[in-house]
Amino acid sequence: MIGAYVELARAHAPLLMVSVAFGAAALAMLSPPRLSWFIACAGALVSAVFAFDLAWRLLAGGGAFAFLLEGVALETDGVSVFGAALVSLTGVLALLAAGAQLGDFERRTASVATALGLAVQTAWIGALAARDLIGVFVAAETAWLAAAALLALSAERGALNGALRMLSAGGVGAALFLVGAALIHRSAGTLDLPAIAEAHIEAADAAALGAGLIVLSLALKAGVAPLHDWLGAGFSRANGAAAMIVGAAAVVGALTVLVRVAAYFVQAPAIGEGVSIALAVLGGASVVIGSLQAVGATNVRRLAAYAGAAQAGGVLLCVALGSPAGVAAALVQLTALAATALALFGGAAAGGVRTLEGLDGLGRRAPLAGAAMMAGAISLMGAPLTLGFLGRWRLVEAGVGAGWWWAAGAVIFASLAGVFYGGRLIERLYFRRAGEIYLGGAGAWRFAAAPLLLAAIVMTALGVAPGLLLDAADAAAAQILGAAA
Amino acid sequence: MSASFALFGVLVAPVLQALFVLALQKPPGLRDVVHIGFALATAICAARLVGAAADGETVRIALAQPLPNVALAFVVEPLGALVAATIGGLGFLHAAHSAGVVRATQEKAPARLMAFMALASGATMAVAFSANLFTFFVAYQALTLCVFPLVAHRGDEEARRAGRTFLATLLTASMGLFLPAMIWTYAIAGALDFQPGGVLAGRVDALTANILLVLFVLGLAMAAMPPLHRWLPASSRAPDPALVTIQGVAILPAGGVGLIKIAAFVFGPALATARFAAYGLILLAGVGMCVAALIALSRQDVRERLAYSCIAQSLAVAVGALVALPMGLFAAALQIVAFACSAATLTMAVGTTGAITARRTVADYAGLGRVMPWTFAGFALASASMIGMPPFSGAWAKLWLITAAAGAGLVWAAALVGAAAVLTFAHLAPLAANTLAGKAPTDAFKRPDGASILLAAPVILSAAATLWLLVLADPLSSFLAPIWSDGQ
Repeated sequence: MIGAYVELARAHAPLLMVSVAFGAAALAMLSPPRLSWFIACAGALVSAVFAFDLAWRLLAGGGAFAFLLEGVALETDGVSVFGAALVSLTGVLALLAAGAQLGDFERRTASVATALGLAVQTAWIGALAARDLIGVFVAAETAWLAAAALLALSAERGALNGALRMLSAGGVGAALFLVGAALIHRSAGTLDLPAIAEAHIEAADAAALGAGLIVLSLALKAGVAPLHDWLGAGFSRANGAAAMIVGAAAVVGALTVLVRVAAYFVQAPAIGEGVSIALAVLGGASVVIGSLQAVGATNVRRLAAYAGAAQAGGVLLCVALGSPAGVAAALVQLTALAATALALFGGAAAGGVRTLEGLDGLGRRAPLAGAAMMAGAISLMGAPLTLGFLGRWRLVEAGVGAGWWWAAGAVIFASLAGVFYGGRLIERLYFRRAGEIYLGGAGAWRFAAAPLLLAAIVMTALGVAPGLLLDAADAAAAQILGAAA
Repeated sequence: MSASFALFGVLVAPVLQALFVLALQKPPGLRDVVHIGFALATAICAARLVGAAADGETVRIALAQPLPNVALAFVVEPLGALVAATIGGLGFLHAAHSAGVVRATQEKAPARLMAFMALASGATMAVAFSANLFTFFVAYQALTLCVFPLVAHRGDEEARRAGRTFLATLLTASMGLFLPAMIWTYAIAGALDFQPGGVLAGRVDALTANILLVLFVLGLAMAAMPPLHRWLPASSRAPDPALVTIQGVAILPAGGVGLIKIAAFVFGPALATARFAAYGLILLAGVGMCVAALIALSRQDVRERLAYSCIAQSLAVAVGALVALPMGLFAAALQIVAFACSAATLTMAVGTTGAITARRTVADYAGLGRVMPWTFAGFALASASMIGMPPFSGAWAKLWLITAAAGAGLVWAAALVGAAAVLTFAHLAPLAANTLAGKAPTDAFKRPDGASILLAAPVILSAAATLWLLVLADPLSSFLAPIWSDGQ
């Protein structure tokens, strides 16, 4: 009997990993702060279990890649199940770590913040599981609005300004997306993602323009430079927990959706080349601009956000290749980005620091947060045996295989910049005397920083023994590129 | 003890050493015993591996497979075993010496200093035994990150600036130059394994070979090739035990090993294809040796003088490795051994002097040999070896180096090596002579009881090691033959 229910749940996993989490978010919003945090974590955990089970069945299990169609037009592919597992895990760790920072919110808004945190990641998972562009649009806008609201709940006025800037940028992004979707529908006659890849496109230029607008819209939400104007304003004044959830789970979610949508677009013969060029240009620009801004950043969260933009540029370069190796490399880089963002945003939140000066001596004041941030910094440098190195190596492998030597140059540029800003982080963490008192969580809640350390450990472990990750990424890439072929 | 266990031990023992030193900080006696004991264990393991390499045993361990077709692996081969044994032996003496220094100077964070010294030793061993370019790169980066805390140990602004220079130079060079070369090599050969005969042999055209050689050699900033040498003088104000690690037993030897591995195991005969770049780099190294030795002459702080002197010695390894002859590789290997012994002796002697007398300048060293005879006897022997005076090990290394350069038709390179030796004589010989011949100072000791045995014995034992190549040159030639035999 129980087995039958479990099988029924597994058969509807794409629907349940979204609906259970949204249900938990609604419940959390109505509960007291600590209970709401517990409910949100539980909901996120259940969603993650469904996501991992789905990924296991479709990727590591080696079985047939059956499409699981739901009444609400959900459909999974290799990238969506990989991405859902990644985003849900990132979200669980971020929510767990956020427990120590709930006190930063006003008491009456803490439950809402917790619920919004869960809603952000769940909506991006929904976008990953959506079958068509309208589903992606609705889910992405839900996630974006939830993220803006979460940042706006922070106590400082500056955070509200950041949220307003997010809303403005999001409005532009939404308009671009809708225009793009309309152009694609007019040219290809469909909005279904797998169908676009195979469709006979009559007006290739209009379709390519539409695809480009959609890519731009999602890139804006993913914080890809130079479309990342909202990043600094949104993060620098927000509460630590809000910045961590948006900076890690939301950015990774948006980027994963971008990878998925772009992977379908580049397969379409009529528009693939144009989309590929757009992705390459955007990716290269993001690597350079993000790296330079990170070098000059004096705020830890801005530094993490700009470094993330540089990494996101690497992801776009990978997808631009349009090959299974490229998409697999993008997924590996996404994993690295998620772990790094968690470590840096989470470490900064746990240590209660915003400026680089605030990091001075943090390694001694808050060893867990310091260790997590150091692991993130080393990964940003692209030091070997880290996920950062692995992701860049896979990009170079795929790029060189396709004759894109300049992509290797971009990666090396990112690593060189990473040496400067990553090295600066490490120096301040461990080689400066403490300039501020420790502002992190007190009592038992300080152990909520443990998930960050877990992220750092996972980052190291997957860098040393990446077999499972590489196999999953390869399977996901082969599935999505083979599915429409 | 099996060779596999010894290889594992030589890599793991320093890590355990660091952990135990940190865990057992008090009482200091226990900390020092652990520190010295693990260093001895590392030396014993390294010595065992020399036997394994001499017997032609195949010993390889793979710890992980972080990239497709590329393992994080270590293998015992003659060059790595020779350098590891040298570093292991010197490391043991250095461990004892550092225990004495931190006591004499009442170092504020001795355990941290010792722990990172141990980690640096382990990373150097990993560099020596690396089985492929990727493992070498990992170990190289680990070594950089382990030594950075030593350079910045004092924590003041000057130390932080030195640390930034150190980290930025080494990491930037390795990421910006070495890593692209590694990727390029992988794209050409489809493998990164170190193999006698060179992984690039027969697979690379002249232009690519020239570019790759420049990227590899300049990317190895630990070898102090100009213009990427500034980290070494900048770090000369690090604590004395850290200086021994940087100049004698870790960083510079690791850079030298890297150069030889690149020349022998990556290029092999393909080095002849990269003749244009090789000659350019030899010229750069040769001129750099002379200029560094000249700058050393102008430095009045003994640590700065030694830093520039060490640059000159390290560049001699580059000349040997790039000559593209087996004799050159042999000379480069001997130079690493000779230079490591001399540099470790000199820096330990300077450390002893600093700890006991607080004297740091050339003028202040006058006559100290009369009140610290053991320490300055070691100083004099090591200076003689560094200069290249027979019968010390430096003489044989430089003799082979000059012979190799002349044998390759590079008489000008041989002349530059000879000129650098003369200039080294000019900046070290008067200093050493003055310590012994000058008038003994009346207020020499900061501490009334003088140098303890932990401060004096390692110096003289290390200095004695500079004599050993006198009898071992021929056996070493046979021992090292496998690293170039397949390339002939």
